[in-house]
Amino acid sequence: MFAHTPLRLTTLTLLAIGSLAYAFVAGFFGLEILAEIAILAILVIALDLVAGFGGMVSLCHGALMGVGAYAFTVAANEAGLGAFPAMMLAVALSAALAFVIGAICARSIGIYFIMATLAFGQMAYSFVFQSPLFGGDDGLSGAPRPDLTAIGIDLTDSRAFAIYAIAMVALTYLVAAATLRSGLGRSLVGLHHNEKRLRALGLTVWRAKATAFAISGALAGLAGCLAAQHTQYISPGLLSWTVSGEALVVVILGGLGTLVGPIVGAVLFVVLKHEISAITPYWHAIVGLILIAVVMSRANGVFGFVEARMAARKSKPVLQKANADA
Amino acid sequence: MLETRTLTKSFGPIHVTKGVSLRLEKGERRVILGPNGAGKTTLFNQLVGELTPDSGTILLDGADVTSLRVADRARLGLSRSYQKNTLFDGLTIGENLGLAAAVALGKGQGLWRDPLQSAEVRETVREVAAQVDLAAFLDMSVKAVSYGIRRQLEVGIALATRPKVILMDEPTSGVGPEMSKGFHRLLKALPRDLTVLIIEHDMDLAFDVADTITVLNYGEVVFDGLPEAARQSQMLKDIYLGAWEDA
Repeated sequence: MFAHTPLRLTTLTLLAIGSLAYAFVAGFFGLEILAEIAILAILVIALDLVAGFGGMVSLCHGALMGVGAYAFTVAANEAGLGAFPAMMLAVALSAALAFVIGAICARSIGIYFIMATLAFGQMAYSFVFQSPLFGGDDGLSGAPRPDLTAIGIDLTDSRAFAIYAIAMVALTYLVAAATLRSGLGRSLVGLHHNEKRLRALGLTVWRAKATAFAISGALAGLAGCLAAQHTQYISPGLLSWTVSGEALVVVILGGLGTLVGPIVGAVLFVVLKHEISAITPYWHAIVGLILIAVVMSRANGVFGFVEARMAARKSKPVLQKANADA
Repeated sequence: MLETRTLTKSFGPIHVTKGVSLRLEKGERRVILGPNGAGKTTLFNQLVGELTPDSGTILLDGADVTSLRVADRARLGLSRSYQKNTLFDGLTIGENLGLAAAVALGKGQGLWRDPLQSAEVRETVREVAAQVDLAAFLDMSVKAVSYGIRRQLEVGIALATRPKVILMDEPTSGVGPEMSKGFHRLLKALPRDLTVLIIEHDMDLAFDVADTITVLNYGEVVFDGLPEAARQSQMLKDIYLGAWEDA
């Protein structure tokens, strides 16, 4: 079951302090990277909620993020909604779509679930790609950033936007953590371990899975809104399965089912991407090798590895005492 | 409390349940006996809804539940334990019991509160843990405990739903004599208003616990009566009890 261990709380605190401190000293390029990390962190927290804790490995989270981005942009630009109402609409739409996908895919598990979500994701991608309303292959531009000038915050400024994005990561984490500590979250973890038994205990499995998927979809939609606001240009590529695949790589790199690990993974992934791509255009190959090393080490990602080491160190004196007593 | 009327199920040409009719009164403890392959577990699977009968009716507390899904029957008070441990392996024993209690109390899909911290769930966990003798192991991971403790938890999870009817599929399967005695005490101590249907191969336990005995053979009820009558039945000795009587 999900719990806030001292290591997790410490890591979260360090991440919060480090990112905020960096936001105040970084230049334009650093702030853009920070915003990129924050948006990816929101997406991977959303994915970890269902994949890491519920065992529902999704390849449509890129599409859910893209739906959020497009819904936000269309609602703001075409329907004339303010940025925050447009965000709420986009998040709600992503959640509704995720609920439907979750409800339909709930009966499948493992590779079949992955393939079903992939199919939904690619359907959404194809629809947006073909639709003139969404600009087809050209995408849409001009997604607005929220206007917070009334409280003295100008989100057109990179620094302010990066801090705003960090605040959204915090909000996302709180929603995900609260979900995992709720009845639904407890059931979600139970479903990962033994779906048959939970059904026999009286849980309506499809509804629990669909609801969890909807919450995750809402968070992915939020990531989409921020992605649209960040670049102020969106294209169908945002809905591609490769975005979902990349998010999955980040979750595995950080630590599946830890909620904190994926944030660490997002930091590592984006920093590695920028640092290695400055040296070689084959940065994907290097990141791939790192991922293979992480997977082959049998550690649960970088953060999972640290957690396991800490747990082993903690239990060592207990085992030594038990052996001495014996 | 629980009744079946001419329940029938076939897998192709194999008839695994042939017109089984049973009637359990409230608080009754009935043991189902029968050789391997007699259709005992298949009958359980139909009772809880994991298998759909080809024909026949299942009544729970007078209501026809034949077409209800597994979760719906569980919510009406029908609970089961499995012959093969069906636990939440990555969780602690306390979390296993808490999750079962939370789902049974309708807190399994709530969004605002942690059901494991609710007084109602904690009380259920405490009581059930005492019932199945697991109070000392609540914080231990299921992965870290012995097979016998896992068997106790298997029954504990079923009890944590506070059922009206509990079906236990060979609760002592694979445990040693000492632990078998523990199960014996556990079954004897169950509340008298709880209706219990047990598949069991431990004859001492079966005859001591049972109010009534049903014997299945090739999917058919071949005996349905009191334990004493079962002991006297020559037919049962021939098809099932010979080895036990001779031992």
